[in-house]
Amino acid sequence: MSKPATMRQMPQIAHVDVNCFYASAERAFDPSLEGKPVVVLSNNDGCAVTRSPEAKALGIPLGEPWFKLAPRAREWGLVALSSNYELYGDISARVMELLGRYSAWLEVYSIDEAFLGVKGTPEELLDLGRTTKAAVRRNVGVPVCVGIAGTKTLAKLANKWAKNNPAFDGVCHWDSVPAADRESLMRRLSVIEIWGVASRLTKRLNGLGIHSILDLSRADPVMIRDRFSVVMMRTVLELQGTPCIPMEEERIGRDQLIFSRSFATPITTAAGMRQVMSVYGQQASARLAKHGLQAKVLTAFAGTSHFNPKDTSYPSVCVPLPMPTADPVLLTRAAHAFLPHINEGIRYARAGIMVTDLRPTGNQAPLSLFENPHEERHVGTLLEDVTRRYGRGSIGLGHAGIRGGPDWTMKRDMLSPRYTTHWDELPLVKAA
Amino acid sequence: MGVVVGPRVIDAGMSLLSVLISPVPVAAGYPSPAQDYFDGRIDLNEHLIKDITSTYVVRVSGDSMEGAGISDGDELIVNRALEPKDGSVVIAVLDGELTIKRLRITGSGVVLQAENPAYPDIRVPSVSDLVIWGVATRCLHHV
Repeated sequence: MSKPATMRQMPQIAHVDVNCFYASAERAFDPSLEGKPVVVLSNNDGCAVTRSPEAKALGIPLGEPWFKLAPRAREWGLVALSSNYELYGDISARVMELLGRYSAWLEVYSIDEAFLGVKGTPEELLDLGRTTKAAVRRNVGVPVCVGIAGTKTLAKLANKWAKNNPAFDGVCHWDSVPAADRESLMRRLSVIEIWGVASRLTKRLNGLGIHSILDLSRADPVMIRDRFSVVMMRTVLELQGTPCIPMEEERIGRDQLIFSRSFATPITTAAGMRQVMSVYGQQASARLAKHGLQAKVLTAFAGTSHFNPKDTSYPSVCVPLPMPTADPVLLTRAAHAFLPHINEGIRYARAGIMVTDLRPTGNQAPLSLFENPHEERHVGTLLEDVTRRYGRGSIGLGHAGIRGGPDWTMKRDMLSPRYTTHWDELPLVKAA
Repeated sequence: MGVVVGPRVIDAGMSLLSVLISPVPVAAGYPSPAQDYFDGRIDLNEHLIKDITSTYVVRVSGDSMEGAGISDGDELIVNRALEPKDGSVVIAVLDGELTIKRLRITGSGVVLQAENPAYPDIRVPSVSDLVIWGVATRCLHHV
């Protein structure tokens, strides 16, 4: 007997993320990398930040420095690439824009993952997951896996399962899996594997007899709140099927910072979006400065509300910055390059920016960057004029100054072309 | 708040033809009388790109497609989302390389043709034996 319609149609959350994102983005334009072990190196310390499945199979650990891998690279047939953040940023923007077409709402969670609001019968949800996966592969050219469940935490877990168990063929709908199988998975996995549990808390959890994800899912949420935090309590509730993890407005990833939020009143004009982008530009600047970082690539995105399914639109754009920078003027200007992609009249309920290609600022003393609004002093215009007249890097503001961080001059000879953002670096197709 | 629209070069990745002039709205006190002029300006992105998520620009290297009017150094607009059909100019993956060919689907099999007699055809039993990367929709030929 079928369940009542209301039960079947409970809103669910799909977690979509790109498999080995950086390596997959490289492969999309260089098919010769298919089947080979590939690592992508971080641009400031030359450590493996992404490994293709073949590289993982060689036992290369995440974060392994290149100098340790180099001696054996030839023997392994290992291909190492420098991080090509302009490429990754553009591919990310395409994936997000496409995902927006398949869901009621979309939350860009990181450069390579998003949460989507979905609804339907289990069959419809599985079908939607497969359709989405196929569309990203076909349109953009990168493989994704999809996990669908009642909460974000379970959707992420389902996604992980879909990635690791070939039987799912990349799409796992949590509720469609027999309960016994789900339990056995949760019993096998340590609490450290679940989204939202910091590894430093594992010992304390273990002390309470909580070792596996299953243990945590059976813990008393109130006890967890009292002994740990509200954050941990939410994880427990989510494991039990109660959605309660809100979108964080600011997220710090391994190599990216993201600022996004929903608006109480939708933004319908480019002028309104301009203000929002300006705020994000300032926030990103302050946060980068606090962490002693500069960014080289900025991605801006926006989305419509799911209450208004008619005019859905999820524009997203990747903007290469002229130099590594934490400067509010430059970041804000870059975010404003998004504005032509805004359609006047569309009701945008959410927007955000992401900065990537992060690198340490170096040893320069922080200047009083935020005490004087640059705009009022016309520093931005001056900077632009000087740059136009004397070329890039001839003048810079504060952290964006001429002297870059330690990696500024780092050789990036393993850098692939910026295939999609530079006219001089388009992919070559052989006519022979 | 009014909107003044002016020409501006965007340096943005999603804009494949990013050198095109695009309207950038800026806040201003009153609506600009110039706005209507810019609304009518031709935007090649709009006309040449059906789907921004699946469209890439590639550059041709070699002379095997001369017969189709596609020369060495020309740029192609490629849509990955299109279904390759008999007669499509496709980007196929051959020996790990992106290669441009004319796709022929006949009753007796599938052929990847060059448009230059100097290059031989490549025959495969069916389309599923091929990896088609995308379908070319436009050639930006250098005249």
